[in-house]
Amino acid sequence: MATAPAPSSRLREQAATLAARLPSLVVAARRIAQSVMHGVHGRRQAGPGETFWQFRPFVSGEPAARVDWRRSARENHAFVREREWEAAHTLWLWFDRSASMAFGSELAASTKLDRAAVLTLALADLAVRGGERVGLLGLSRPIAARGIIDRFAEILAASELVDRAAPSQLPPVAPIAARSKVVLIGDFLSPGDEVARSFAAIGSNGAEGQVLMICDPLEETFPFAGHTEFLAPADVARLRAPRAQNLRAAYLARLAAQREAVRSASARQGWDFALHRTDESAAAALLSLHARLSERGPANLAWGT
Amino acid sequence: MFGLPLAFAAPAVLVALVALGALYYFLRVTPPRPRQVVFPPLRLLLGLDDKETTPAKTPWPLLLLRLAIAAAVVLAMAGPIWNAAKTAIGRDGALLVVFDDGWASAPSWDRRIAVAREAMSAATRAGRLAALAPISQGGLDVMPLDAANFESKLSALAPVPYAPPREAALAPIGRFLAHDPNAEILWIADGLELGGAAGFATKLKALAEGHAIAVAAEGATPIAIAGVESLPGALKARLTRADSNARAEGVARALDAQGRVIGQTPFQFGARLTTDASFDLPVELRNEIARLVVADEPAAGATWLIDERWRRRRVAIVSGASADIAQPLLSPNYYVRRALAPYADIREAHGEVSDPILALLAEKPSALVLADMSVPPGPTRDKLNEFVDSGGVLVRFAGTRLAAGDDDLIPTALRRGGRTLGGALSWETPKHIAPFEDPSPFVGLAAPDEVTVTRQVLAEPEPGLAAKTWARLADGTPLVTAERRGKGMIVLFHVTADTTWSNLPISGLFVEMLRRIIAEAGAAPAAPAGSVAKTAQTLPPWRTLDGFGVLGAPPANAQPIPDGFAGIGEATHLPGFYGAADSLVAVNAMAPGEALAAADYAGLPLRAGGLAVAPPIDLKPWLLLAALVGFLIDALASLWLARPQSFVRRPAALLIALALFAGLAGVDRARAQPAAALDQDMKAALETHLGYIATGDADVDETSRLGLSTLAKVLDRRTSAAVAEPIALDPARDELAFYPLIYWPIVAGRPQPPSLAVARITAYMKNGGTVIFDTRDALNSRPGGASTPETVWLRTLLAGVDVPLLEPIPRDHVVTKTFYLLDSFVGRTDMGQTWIEALPPPDPNDRAPRPARAGDSVSPIIITSNDLAGAWALDANGSPLHPLVPGGPRQRELAWRGGVNLVMYALTGNYKADQVHAKDLLERLSH
Repeated sequence: MATAPAPSSRLREQAATLAARLPSLVVAARRIAQSVMHGVHGRRQAGPGETFWQFRPFVSGEPAARVDWRRSARENHAFVREREWEAAHTLWLWFDRSASMAFGSELAASTKLDRAAVLTLALADLAVRGGERVGLLGLSRPIAARGIIDRFAEILAASELVDRAAPSQLPPVAPIAARSKVVLIGDFLSPGDEVARSFAAIGSNGAEGQVLMICDPLEETFPFAGHTEFLAPADVARLRAPRAQNLRAAYLARLAAQREAVRSASARQGWDFALHRTDESAAAALLSLHARLSERGPANLAWGT
Repeated sequence: MFGLPLAFAAPAVLVALVALGALYYFLRVTPPRPRQVVFPPLRLLLGLDDKETTPAKTPWPLLLLRLAIAAAVVLAMAGPIWNAAKTAIGRDGALLVVFDDGWASAPSWDRRIAVAREAMSAATRAGRLAALAPISQGGLDVMPLDAANFESKLSALAPVPYAPPREAALAPIGRFLAHDPNAEILWIADGLELGGAAGFATKLKALAEGHAIAVAAEGATPIAIAGVESLPGALKARLTRADSNARAEGVARALDAQGRVIGQTPFQFGARLTTDASFDLPVELRNEIARLVVADEPAAGATWLIDERWRRRRVAIVSGASADIAQPLLSPNYYVRRALAPYADIREAHGEVSDPILALLAEKPSALVLADMSVPPGPTRDKLNEFVDSGGVLVRFAGTRLAAGDDDLIPTALRRGGRTLGGALSWETPKHIAPFEDPSPFVGLAAPDEVTVTRQVLAEPEPGLAAKTWARLADGTPLVTAERRGKGMIVLFHVTADTTWSNLPISGLFVEMLRRIIAEAGAAPAAPAGSVAKTAQTLPPWRTLDGFGVLGAPPANAQPIPDGFAGIGEATHLPGFYGAADSLVAVNAMAPGEALAAADYAGLPLRAGGLAVAPPIDLKPWLLLAALVGFLIDALASLWLARPQSFVRRPAALLIALALFAGLAGVDRARAQPAAALDQDMKAALETHLGYIATGDADVDETSRLGLSTLAKVLDRRTSAAVAEPIALDPARDELAFYPLIYWPIVAGRPQPPSLAVARITAYMKNGGTVIFDTRDALNSRPGGASTPETVWLRTLLAGVDVPLLEPIPRDHVVTKTFYLLDSFVGRTDMGQTWIEALPPPDPNDRAPRPARAGDSVSPIIITSNDLAGAWALDANGSPLHPLVPGGPRQRELAWRGGVNLVMYALTGNYKADQVHAKDLLERLSH
């Protein structure tokens, strides 16, 4: 009996090996990102390297220097040569790398952490292909390089090596510039007011955001019965329930309340909220996330259409 | 207990079973270890408070398992024994085991010992002493013994080869019973009346008044051989049994002096108590028979020793015509000898013996043939009379000397002068022989027409002559007359033993007649009269039987028998052969014609089941093992209950499962081990392998293996010796006989091999094997300095081995010439001395130039310090494993050559020493 390590420490260990699993996550992220590109855009090859975007009719009051005379000469109207979104919008990504995310039950295909990492990297890839600059909140400045997945993977791995402290459960409190976008992925099991405060801090400058709450099916169904001892993944907290089935109803109520709290916290910032279970497909989650980001975006954030 | 053959050594411990109830209660209220689950949203749960606090119950199968474990441990501690022998309840005195140890107990000896041991251990468990009273030790007092002493006395017991009288044991038993009024008696009886069972039983019953008593006897009684008859055509053994419970059929075997079976014959008792087994063998073989035994009946009573009495007769021939020996066809001895040789052992006087009759009588013939010889009065005639009186057969042939002589050693009075038939001055023709009539032993023989008698001595007509006449001529005159005198008889042929008087000696009839006369000699066994016995000396025991009917050296207390002893074997003179090795007298355990009778136990209670005891089984270790297995299963089940999802990932669970299976597999491997050893032996027997002793030092063993492997390749390449891969040997475990050469590197730090291994090495060396001991210390040893640890180790090892005288290998030793011509044997070093069994010193008379000398066999031991294998060894790439001192390719080559020579020496012995003479031999053959 003495040979089995405490489960929480084991989970910590798994979480710490995120760096080790990154290569496979990178592959998964590429695959998913590719499938989304193909599914929505077909084989369109237009990329961010194109400087030209479109001609639009000249609107009076604009500087005359914007008029593209060569184009305008062919018609009666004056046209403005609009370049491709030179001041690209910044997409900030963050996912929860705390110990509680490292949990994955037998019901799910992967741990919450893996899923969050895959979604984050895939989203970063999609965004870069769409011309966005993408940054990892708290880890890197916005980048628009093509091999964004590899870059981010390196950054993640390096941060794990350098920073041995347990990652926080909530995004770093750093106001995001207006018109930037932020995507927060995590299980958001912290108390509702803390979540709300964190969201408020990030969105204080008017950044737009998406919140994806990841949960394990086990957490949602609570299939426990009998004498059960519940352990927290990261700390020593534990709860011994003589009859776990008796707790189910109350727990589900609290879970619903927690989700409601997170939802309302994001709604207060005008952000979207979505729920993702790790037994669902990652591609679907990415697709819907991507779709929501695109439709809320300004006209020049057209990488979704 | 409870009608089961189950007993407990410590029944008081069973009280602890009551505690199982309490255990049940505690197990029920103690919940199983909760399942531990990691649950990230634990915070959401923390405030929740479950009103219900009753813990989950331990599942009932687990509860049952744990109770069973506890019960098994309690039962094991109580010392349960299956098939424990029952003893009388309520007795606290000693147990007296009266043990029949006559030969009749031998066939079921092991079971008897088992019954006695069983009874003793039952008594010991009950805290009682046990006493052993073997019947054959009737004179000794019986002492109560503790278990160890009883066991040692019991294991020293062996069946005696006779039937000891039981009465003698009564007195000590009586004293013992008087001393211990609570004693219980168990009489392990052999079931035969032999030795006075009925009387003993009656008296024992009287003695044992107030004591518990039981008789353990086997249903099947033994078979015995009571007498052997030597018939003309066959040797007939009379088998007897006590009752119809004994075996009804079987096989009797005739063994020669070396114990080889030379004949066997089945026998069947049917419903009778006696039967015959006839050995119909050629006379030559029949004479080889030394004893008859009943197969599967190992007892002295079922063994019959055969001596001269049942053998071919010894016939002495004396002739008065000793001057004619130069012309054998004129000698009467010649015809008699030729006629009797197939059926009898012929003795003739040789050389210058003053009185051939006396000399031959000293050889104790059963028949004496006097061919035309008269016996003058005096000591010779007295001896002859004594000989005939004590059962000898005197066969006389007529002739001129007999006719002229005057003695009374003839069956009937003779007329002076003979008659001549068909001579030149006679009208009569030579007479033929008349058909034989009834009192004659020749009845049934055909009287051929071609036999004619030309001359004879005539019997004086007298009353009773007809009854004495065994053969007569056609005109009625007696040709052969005989007379019984004392125990023997005198037979007279009225013609000569040569062909001067008749052509009878050259007819087949003569052979048959003599054969029948000799058979008559057997009919009256040579039992000397009392007067003879008084003067005769004693015969020392030569070989005696033990209780199982095995011949062996006589025990120290065996006493000689008087000459002419006719009794059966007893305590003082055991059954066996007595006398000198060339004229043995057999004493048997049974008298001829003796009948066996079943014992009558005078109403003593017979123990149920007789001697059939199942051996007691101590259940304690098995119960403890069951408890341990149960405990492991419980641990697995508890783990599974606590965390079913990740059950298989738990190292603890894996460990427990491993422990379970390793235990089972261990049993299997233990069983499989002999098979593996057998495999290796099979392999070793099919090819020639060099062997090396696995020292346990991995480096040294690898060097040995590679060294011998390289040497095998060298041998393969350069010589015709096909040597397979070397085999690592453990002298304590492996059979060494398959290896011509064993290399033994000495590692000082290793423990000495067990004495068993040393004994096997000794046997290997004695039986022609060669061991090379390599101390590998030539670099460390200084001449005259302190012994190196390796040398000390080797010396310790060889202290238990019979080592021959050793010498440094001389330059002309054959081992230096078996393949290469070598001066020395080098290895990694070249300064060490190599020792070998010392050769006998050269013959000073032998002037021939001998380049090689050899002993009669291969030296069993070669000791070197040069680390031979280290020099031989090449690794897989063919590069040397160790550097050499001083070094160089030539040294390695010399090392290999030395190895080749050593192997060749072990394989061919002194062949090369002989081969140097091949040229001389061929030269000698060509002239």
